[in-house]
Amino acid sequence: MTDLLQLLFAGLSQGAVYALIAIGFVAIFTVSGVINLAQGEFAALAGLVAISAAGGGMLLPAAAVLAVSTVAIVAVVMERLVIFPVRGMTTLVSLILTLGVSTGLKALMLLIYGPDAKGLEPLFPGAFDLAGVSIRYQELLILAVAGVVALAVYWFYEKTLAGKSLRACAEQPVAARLVGISLSRASLLSFLIAGCVGAIGGVLASPIYFTGWESGLTLGLKGFVAATLGGLVSVRGAVLGGLLLGVLENLTAGYISTGLRDAVAFFLLIVVLVARPSGIFGRHAEARV
Amino acid sequence: MRRTAPARAAALLAALTLGLAACAESESGGGGGGGGAADESGPIKIGAVLDITGAGASLGVPERQALELLASQLQEEGGIDGREVELIIEDNQSTEDGAAKAINKLVNEDEVDLVLGASRTGPSLAMRPVAESNQIPMISLAANQAIVDGSEWVFKTAQNDRVVIERMIDYMADQGHTTIGLARDASGFGEGVQEMFDEIGAAEGISVVAAEKFAPDATDFTAQMVNLRNAAADINVIWGIPPAAGLAQQAYVQLGIAAPVMQSHGIGNQVFLDTAGDSAEGLVAPLGRLVVADQLPEDDPQADVINEFVEAYTAEYDQGPSTFAGHAYDGWQLAIDALREVGTDKQAVRDHLEGLEDVVGISGTFTMSPDDHSGLTKEALVLVTVENGAWKLLPDQGTGG
Repeated sequence: MTDLLQLLFAGLSQGAVYALIAIGFVAIFTVSGVINLAQGEFAALAGLVAISAAGGGMLLPAAAVLAVSTVAIVAVVMERLVIFPVRGMTTLVSLILTLGVSTGLKALMLLIYGPDAKGLEPLFPGAFDLAGVSIRYQELLILAVAGVVALAVYWFYEKTLAGKSLRACAEQPVAARLVGISLSRASLLSFLIAGCVGAIGGVLASPIYFTGWESGLTLGLKGFVAATLGGLVSVRGAVLGGLLLGVLENLTAGYISTGLRDAVAFFLLIVVLVARPSGIFGRHAEARV
Repeated sequence: MRRTAPARAAALLAALTLGLAACAESESGGGGGGGGAADESGPIKIGAVLDITGAGASLGVPERQALELLASQLQEEGGIDGREVELIIEDNQSTEDGAAKAINKLVNEDEVDLVLGASRTGPSLAMRPVAESNQIPMISLAANQAIVDGSEWVFKTAQNDRVVIERMIDYMADQGHTTIGLARDASGFGEGVQEMFDEIGAAEGISVVAAEKFAPDATDFTAQMVNLRNAAADINVIWGIPPAAGLAQQAYVQLGIAAPVMQSHGIGNQVFLDTAGDSAEGLVAPLGRLVVADQLPEDDPQADVINEFVEAYTAEYDQGPSTFAGHAYDGWQLAIDALREVGTDKQAVRDHLEGLEDVVGISGTFTMSPDDHSGLTKEALVLVTVENGAWKLLPDQGTGG
């Protein structure tokens, strides 16, 4: 029982990181049909910026803010330089373009930060025992912040005018345009959101899971699978997908074989794409975002 | 006209990506020097294939630094018999296919006289058939004995996992442990380790009762450690390289496993101490003497060689060398020694390497033979623990040393 709880908890905190990355995929895909393969690199870059800022003597919260703002700027610049100028964007074109950005960002990170993976100093180091389950404070922080961010994003889409206009773009692009919503601004905003949540995920994950120039690949893949589990169009689905993936990975590693851990994501991906392409939590095209 | 914008963006992006890739390439291949056309009296060429990026970066980077340092030292001395020695370093990105590609390039395009590398077992195994079929001497810097088992042209400098395990079993027997829980690297470095513990431990009645694996780039070790905790062995062994080995060590301590823990010789660098942090305190690992250079007794036969290298390396890079830098030093010295003695005739170099006797290096004292292309015994290793974040020679070296 203790083991099950231990594995569940480790899975949840890992899953929360996947969930944040997944929200980024969803935010961008719903607005413009772009699948942003550089989403994982946002997280890796944020982790590396935070590590080097903290290493340079900056206070941890300040380093985290710096990391998130840097990545937000990178995301916005990326949208203006690479996505915005392309007319008639299709998902396939977006894959090729963002793969290029991802490769470029990786090369940049390797040049600037070197090849070694490092961990950010945790804000609250240490761990405590609860009924035999060892819990790191950082894991609680991941869950808490991820929860707040997910709620904030949800609230933004449901309750604010800007959020509603993004949903309008997602559901009826032509009609949205007719009522005066700027698709260009919506796309920019979606990249800003994706950059911020991805960066927050990257900074949160760094103390436990470490960050190197290559970390984005795995994070991005897992985040993408999590988003797909939720049908790629639902924030709620993305969060649930992320948590489910994290937990299943850990249970598989604990009870079946540690070698199968990374296979879980792809197995799930295939099953979902074949059996329920709209996502396991989805109710078909309704209730986008 | 509509096309211009995307075309421009795509071209810009492509240019950016390629430009960056080119930068990365020239960075990692930077030790090469001039590389002019090779003629008969031209430079002697030594190729090196290292894990400079990817999972093995913590090994490959110090190895590259050590090789570049030694190459420039040799340059200042005027090369070998007036012939310049050119070092060409390739990054295999810690992959097997990258390593095979790199050695093919070195052998076919650069026409090197000898190959060093790779840093880890998997890539080294991928290079071996190329070295054997092209009949070119190769000195691997990696650990697994399979790299040189039955080889003709391949040698290695890192201590064999077999002698490491012998040393660990000696220690366990001294301490009265009989059951081992093992968490091992799932790549080449950890391959066959469990079987070897069982085989060598059999004489002492020691066996592995639980075995877990982790990918070299794994980040979460909860599952493995929970299973080790349940196995409740007398002693646990984590067999990997940092950062994975450091993260595994953290998880081990975090999950409150009471049994003592040993690590392998894969952790002999500062990166491990940084990643494992406080959790490393008190672990025991068999490592080369390099990490405890300042604590060696003065009459230690390796003390002079080690101290001289530590001094030169620290002066150049502002940080002490890791054991991996030491493996690279040994590989380089064995190569240079052979080239100096017998010239660039490949067969002669190979025969010379096989006949080496009592060559004092950083990782140990090498004595090669046709049956043993590794040349080190368990005396090459000392038991080391971690105290206050630094390596400390274990006062009780047990019966093995």
